[in-house]
Amino acid sequence: MENLDYARLQMAFTLGFHIIFACIGMVMPFFMVVSHKKWLNTRKPVYLDLTKAWQKGVAIFFVTGAVSGTALSFELGMLWPEFMKHAGPVIGMPFSLEGAAFFVEAIALGFYLYGWKRLPETFHWITGIIIGISGVASGILVVSANAWMNAPAGFDVVNGEFINIDPVAAFFNEAWFTQALHMTLAAFAATGFAVAGIHAFQILRNKNPELHKEAFKIAIFFGAVAAILQPLSGDLSAKDVAVRQPVKLAAMEAHYETEKGAPLFIGGIVDEDKKEVSHKIEIPGALSFLAFGDFDAEVKGLNEFPEDELPPVAIVHYAFQLMVGIGTLLMLAALIFFISLRKRGWWDNKKFWWLFAVLSPLGFIAVEAGWVVTEVGRQPWIVYNVMRTKDAVTPMPGLVYSFYMYVVVYLALAVTVTWLMNRQIKALNNSTE
Amino acid sequence: MLYVVLFFTFFSLFLYVLLGGADFGAGIVELFSSRNNRKLTRDTIYQVMGPIWEANHIWLIILIVILWIAFPAYFNIIIIYLHVPLTLVLLGITIRGVAFIFRHYDAVVDASQIWYNRLFRIGSLITPVFLGMSFGTLVSGKIILTTDYSEIGFADIFIFPWLNTFTLLTGLFYAALCAFLASTLLIGETTGEVRKIYSRKSAVFTISLVLIGGAVLTYGYFTEMVFVKDFLNNPFSLIAIALSAILLIPLWQAIKKQYSMRTRILAGLQVLLVIFAAVNTHFPNLIITDTSEVDLLAGAAPDSVIRVLGISLIIGGAIILPGLFHLMRSFNMINPKKES
Ligand code: HDD
Ligand code: HEM
Ligand code: HEM
Repeated sequence: MENLDYARLQMAFTLGFHIIFACIGMVMPFFMVVSHKKWLNTRKPVYLDLTKAWQKGVAIFFVTGAVSGTALSFELGMLWPEFMKHAGPVIGMPFSLEGAAFFVEAIALGFYLYGWKRLPETFHWITGIIIGISGVASGILVVSANAWMNAPAGFDVVNGEFINIDPVAAFFNEAWFTQALHMTLAAFAATGFAVAGIHAFQILRNKNPELHKEAFKIAIFFGAVAAILQPLSGDLSAKDVAVRQPVKLAAMEAHYETEKGAPLFIGGIVDEDKKEVSHKIEIPGALSFLAFGDFDAEVKGLNEFPEDELPPVAIVHYAFQLMVGIGTLLMLAALIFFISLRKRGWWDNKKFWWLFAVLSPLGFIAVEAGWVVTEVGRQPWIVYNVMRTKDAVTPMPGLVYSFYMYVVVYLALAVTVTWLMNRQIKALNNSTE
Repeated sequence: MLYVVLFFTFFSLFLYVLLGGADFGAGIVELFSSRNNRKLTRDTIYQVMGPIWEANHIWLIILIVILWIAFPAYFNIIIIYLHVPLTLVLLGITIRGVAFIFRHYDAVVDASQIWYNRLFRIGSLITPVFLGMSFGTLVSGKIILTTDYSEIGFADIFIFPWLNTFTLLTGLFYAALCAFLASTLLIGETTGEVRKIYSRKSAVFTISLVLIGGAVLTYGYFTEMVFVKDFLNNPFSLIAIALSAILLIPLWQAIKKQYSMRTRILAGLQVLLVIFAAVNTHFPNLIITDTSEVDLLAGAAPDSVIRVLGISLIIGGAIILPGLFHLMRSFNMINPKKES
């Protein structure tokens, strides 16, 4: 493999790592403040235990998110210096505002973590809310920068230089709203189901079930609402991609021929050499409808585009199928949860808890898959139709070493964090038993 | 607006060197504490630094973001030619950052603490060394700008410019500065006998700082480094350094008397003077390569960008600075416990 490939792998690996911590950092504070509020209202010790446990989780994930994010802000430049040289000023605005949002978050976190018994109760609780809001704000801001890479706006290219830069127009590019909406929902769905699943598993093991049921309720509520909205927002994204990046849409659907009334493929094995998809299920006209809201609309196929502008089709297609499949599952599970609120008997059934325990990791798998769709689907462009990835990479050879360094360090970190969380849960199980 | 942006650039640099530095220094002080004092140092640091711990490091992010938005051409050189040491800095930041949080938030306190402590202390030492080496490299006159990467060897372009006697000295200088800041900060958080320990440490690190600083200049002078020569010929830089030397006297008096707030202000002032002296020498040509000098402002972003950035910084600053100040006050970082 070449230097470029290692740069891409390193970027993908570190971003894929960061996004998990970022999602949890955005969403966990909300769980924490809800539980905290319940403590303030009822003074039941379970809520205090839960709040304190979640607070430790927030602190640990925040720091892991922060250090991996710090690494990323260097990495964007270290791996893609040409990209940053030209694009930096254009997408600088979301990043500088993001910096401000982080700051607010870090300050609020300082108050929250150290404020127990020292600050007035309401003020203390509000600092918790600020952590959550600024976390979500920073998520939306970075995603806007990413959306700009998909839908470049706010500048002109003359002789390879970016001129007439308008940072505000760059920020409000065509993709920012759909992407930011979808990502924010994804963070809530993924974290909600992940946390709920962990507590469901503890309930199955009959460890401190009262506490875990409270925890489950809070987490799944956020997750379920988001999971129901997710496919709707995903549909908006798909319609958006159809107009703005037709190649990406064709790759997502592994759609080679341009057709009117194009069918939707479910499953299927992509053969990139022969340019066909075998073993698929076809739903006639459905793709045209999903992409353009019209069963007869024309959908461009991959064969319309020059060979050197095609992304890797198979990966994008499989990743998209995976995301949508999981999205459907999570939506159904969310409905089951809402029905279960009416039918209390379900909560005594082990199958109910097994369901949520098993679904636990799926949200995050969908998040990773979704990002693979977005990012790999944009290839070979780093800035769609403006700059190629290979022209942006650093001239420094030997990236293979830094790639492996990150892999080793981050894997070690992931293992440690998982182990720490396990210890937190054990401690929690012993707290009010 | 350019001035607003420049102001925030150096303001973040200053605060990162100061607050981030005190934070790195905390680990260094711990590393050089006797076994008995380590636990105490650890707890004191947690008390005083904990609440603003996260915020300290965001100054670095703000600095980087400003550089890449406003001064892309300048940033481009840093980020290509300092790839290796900066990667090591990141590694250090990651390791000590997570070790710090793990050791205070692990639900079970057991033997793994030994590892967290070890990683925290070692990370705290190597990170500022590499950071100082990176700063040193920029002005060392050793960076080779080229477009023909295969002609000149990998090590000549990407290793030797940052790995040499001069940069090692600048690395040690920054580490000593960090340790000095942390021990000075800790004086205000303790009382009685313990306070004496930190006063003594603070004195030791001040002396090391002066010695290493002298070594940097002497070495640079005898190897005819452009930066050092210009430094020694620049009246304002010399005045700044002289002033910082003079200020050592009240600082030492304050340390002896153990006035904590005054020691903090004086220590901050020292940092300000050192940065001013260094930056002023060559401003705006803040990178010196083997053959030329690179102007920070030359490749600056167009006005439209600078304007938006300036406005964002002003608004951000207006929200953040009072919040940060309030945070520091609430937890005694500013206005520490009175003499007891
Ligand atoms: C919990 C996670 C999750 C779930 C259940 C879904 N998605 Fe998603 N999707 C993401 C998480 C995600 C993501 C990781 O957040 C992405 C990557 C970039 C982005 O903004 O969101 C994404 C991107 C993304 C894109 C590409 C946008 C672009 O490239 O600009 C499309 C078209 C969809 N999604 C569509 C869907 C549909 C139709 C779903 C139906 C169920 C769906 N997603 C469920
Ligand atoms: C879609 C992708 C991303 C999302 C949703 C996201 C979101 C977040 C969030 C919510 C945090 C706060 C961490 C926490 O609360 O635990 C965070 C941290 C951070 N992120 Fe990301 N991020 C993304 C990608 C990036 C990228 C590409 C960069 C680099 C340019 C970056 C830079 C940072 C930095 C520097 C921090 C640390 C800030 C701090 O100290 O609080 N992030 N990110
Ligand atoms: C956190 C969620 C994200 C994930 C999981 C992710 C994933 C990926 C992947 C898989 C690639 C490699 C694509 C390939 O080369 O085939 C990539 C590339 C890249 N991503 Fe993302 N991405 C995320 C968010 C972002 C954001 C928010 C930004 C910028 C603001 C960003 C900037 C880049 C850049 C500059 C590249 C390298 C150039 C390229 O391959 O096009 N990414 N990312």
